[in-house]
Amino acid sequence: MMQFSEIPPLHQIPPFSIPTMNKNQIHRARPWPGFPTSKGLGSFGDANCMEQLLVHCANAIESNDATLAQQILWVLNNIAPPDGDSNQRLTCAFLRALIVRAAKSGTCKMLAAMANAHCNLSIDIHTFSVIELASFVDLTPWHRFGFTAANAAILEAVEGYSVIHIVDLSLTHCMQIPTLIDAIASRLEGPPLVKLTVAGGATEDVPPMLDLSYEELGSKLINFARSRNVVLEFRAIPSTYADGFSSLIEQLRVQHLVYAESGEALVINCHMMLHYLPEETLPPLSNVNSNPYSFEPSSTQSLRAMFLKALRGLDPTVVVLVDEDADFTSNNLVCRLRAAFNYLWIPYDTVDTFLPQGSKQRQWYEADICWKIENVIAHEGLQRVERLEPKSRWVQRMRNAGFRGVSFGEEAISEVKTMLDEHAAGWGLKKEEDDLVLTWKGHNVVFATAWLPA
Amino acid sequence: MPVEVDNSSTVSGDASVSSTGNQNPPPKSAVKKKRNLPGMPDPDAEVIALSPTTLLATNRFVCEICNKGFQRDQNLQLHRRGHNLPWKLRQRSSKEVKKRVYVCPEPTCVHHDPSRALGDLTGIKKHFCRKHGEKKWKCDKCSKKYAVQSDWKAHSKICGTREYKCDCGTVFSRRDSFITHRAFCDALAVESAKTQTNPSSESDPKVQAADSSPRRSPPAAPPPVSAPSAITSSDIRIQSSVLAEDPRTVVEEAPTPAPAPAPPPAGLNGSSSSSVSLVSSGCSSSSSSSSVFSSLFTSTTVSASIHPPQPLAPAPPLVGLNGSCSGSVSLVSSGASSSSSSGVFASLFASSTVSASIQPPQPPALTNLIQADLAPSTSIEPISLCLSTSHGSSIFGTTGQERRQHAPPLQPAMSATALLQKAAQMGAAASNASLLRGLGIVSSSAPQENLQWGQAQVDPDNASIAAGLGLGLPCDGSSGLKELMMGTPVFGPKQTTLDFLGLGVAAGGNPNASLSALITSIGGGFDATTAAASFRGGDYTSKDIGRSS
Repeated sequence: MMQFSEIPPLHQIPPFSIPTMNKNQIHRARPWPGFPTSKGLGSFGDANCMEQLLVHCANAIESNDATLAQQILWVLNNIAPPDGDSNQRLTCAFLRALIVRAAKSGTCKMLAAMANAHCNLSIDIHTFSVIELASFVDLTPWHRFGFTAANAAILEAVEGYSVIHIVDLSLTHCMQIPTLIDAIASRLEGPPLVKLTVAGGATEDVPPMLDLSYEELGSKLINFARSRNVVLEFRAIPSTYADGFSSLIEQLRVQHLVYAESGEALVINCHMMLHYLPEETLPPLSNVNSNPYSFEPSSTQSLRAMFLKALRGLDPTVVVLVDEDADFTSNNLVCRLRAAFNYLWIPYDTVDTFLPQGSKQRQWYEADICWKIENVIAHEGLQRVERLEPKSRWVQRMRNAGFRGVSFGEEAISEVKTMLDEHAAGWGLKKEEDDLVLTWKGHNVVFATAWLPA
Repeated sequence: MPVEVDNSSTVSGDASVSSTGNQNPPPKSAVKKKRNLPGMPDPDAEVIALSPTTLLATNRFVCEICNKGFQRDQNLQLHRRGHNLPWKLRQRSSKEVKKRVYVCPEPTCVHHDPSRALGDLTGIKKHFCRKHGEKKWKCDKCSKKYAVQSDWKAHSKICGTREYKCDCGTVFSRRDSFITHRAFCDALAVESAKTQTNPSSESDPKVQAADSSPRRSPPAAPPPVSAPSAITSSDIRIQSSVLAEDPRTVVEEAPTPAPAPAPPPAGLNGSSSSSVSLVSSGCSSSSSSSSVFSSLFTSTTVSASIHPPQPLAPAPPLVGLNGSCSGSVSLVSSGASSSSSSGVFASLFASSTVSASIQPPQPPALTNLIQADLAPSTSIEPISLCLSTSHGSSIFGTTGQERRQHAPPLQPAMSATALLQKAAQMGAAASNASLLRGLGIVSSSAPQENLQWGQAQVDPDNASIAAGLGLGLPCDGSSGLKELMMGTPVFGPKQTTLDFLGLGVAAGGNPNASLSALITSIGGGFDATTAAASFRGGDYTSKDIGRSS
């Protein structure tokens, strides 16, 4: 119940009566008389306005100002319906996330207000069947870009090797693999033996969710590979980002010892997975030995840095790192909110070009983005898993870990371009030094980088 | 552009255009009309440079009567007849016309250089549009965009027609989509199941000993054990090289085992190891998936031979092991992988540690071995273990029925076979039960929800709040909060809010008054119930965010 009975009058206010709120009141023409036409406001539906409101709301929540927060939330609620245009839907998702945050934290006033102020806030995250996921991932260049660039880089790097060991750390549950296998199968010197290792269960609580076990997934892949005359071996090693994939690393290390000289190519394909690794803004857990890599001397580095170093220790043939180009690591809510708002408008904007409103896939798509927004805004500590870092930071990290960047060849670029042509016109490709960046209307979306041991 | 141009031909029409020599564009020579290679113009041609406007102009010929535009003069002339105007159709001039070539006006373009001029006016127009123009034509099926209308038309004709069809019936216009779908589609599994019933040579990657052929001829049900013994008994000296690399060598071609198709990879020279690998490969050759782990095994042992001090047991025991059941070797060494759909196989470390523990190869012992094998390799046990089915008939029978782990119906069961199967099942179950749990899968511990983090040092002084409201919150943006809230058109569907805002504003243009009116209306006789109801009853209830119906 939003009782504002306690707000004291602020100044001497000329009293005037407020007529009863009659729901059948005639809609007033706008602009209403006396409306202060402030030039700085611009159009109300614009993203700037919404961002400002969200920022104010976030501040209000952070300062435990329940009243103000409620007011702003109310305003936001009115201007951002969940079925509006892309800006409105984006704001709505942020609004939702802020409410969740306010409900979780804050004083009891806030909690009570939030509890009453809304209805069910849960998001329906769809669990994809493997076929659904395949077509879903295919709708947009968001992932395809990374797939295409990575596959091209991998193929170039593993030329001549007769055994290729691919470690696929991907958010998309091996959706990249069929095209990679297909490309490997068609290479001139005859198909090699391909071993595929994945981290089983790494993102089982992060969308997109798959309803298939990794064993079944693997068996399908092996089947498919056979149909292309490629021998594929599949392994899913239970491992999670929470400990820096330590169990996976351990496995790989042992294997490295065994296979170091057998002429096997080791390919590490990281697709939107590494940003879940805890980094420096997350204080190390006090109840766990901060170094999960038992074979390494204890270090004070973040898991993210340690993981990259561990990768380097495996002496891989090539490492491909694809991730989203944004910075969600700030500990300051407002900074994070701004960063997220100025990045996640992109998926909302693009969805109009490939999914009709009201379609189930669109709901799934937007639900997944909603989940991400909620995670960034409403969660803290370990629960906040979406810790995106911009390309520049990742590049620095890889260099610190002992890798040197390698550029994508002309073929790779032309393949990416061809792929982009299959999608709407707003998608573009940018080449920044060695790296490729997918752009939407000129804004950076996803980057793809390739690395060799330095 | 790697072109050697002796004289720079100017736009004004330097006649000699030096051709470049070996360029890349493939000759588009039609039989009827001799064309120069695109972008490699006739050296004697006259170079014409048209401006972008000219190139983009569509209807250059305009009728003076009705201002109708035409692309060609001929068309205009014909139109003029309709106005009873004098008209004249130009005849195609019979005399020799100087060949003209056109350059692209865009300076950064390859075809800006006269030596790469295009020979056709239409061609240069299309080129300019395509490369430097705006894509105005969009295919409605696939959202591909084109600058040239004819390109768009051509595409529309074929868009969606050259389709990739999956066995399940779904159709794709993009190859990548098709491949990804096909990989996971059940239709593929069904199809490969069918191919399993006939040992197709194309799926057999391993070379076998000469003895293998008779073994493999009855596809469905040969007791696998007898075969292996045949294999092992012979001194197999097959190229480890074969095993290590080209997996395509067809098993049927067994009679030519000796000439290794490829030179042995460096280091794979241990004869014992090769024999071991041979055996395993031999056993596993028939069905494709078996090659999966046999190669795995191969590489394991091979590398073992390279690093003598490794925990891998020396080869001979392995050979001996094979005596009983070749399949078992593979199984033991590499864990398992199912035949038809092949599943997950044990990790390489499983194989290494296993080999280490391999002892005299009695079938019963295998069971123990397997179990023992599965147990120690705890830290590296994969999620699932599948049974290996070596032969086409497969030790564990079935011909592609099984797709799941540890569930294959048996074929003519040998005791070893049955034991192996059971062992794998038990082992797998055991591994599932204990190993995986025991793997210490680190899951994020209960979130350390710290409800305190939201709390700043707040002075919940209402006055300060008001002040903040009145003066604009400590905001970083240009617009103060109050302006935002004032300006927001909360009218529309929400008539209640319209009202109170309307009231506030009607009070006057004084922002402060409006603001206080706002606050008053909020705090005063404001119908909080209505407000709450409207808020609650707002879009959140009717349309949930991101919720699928």
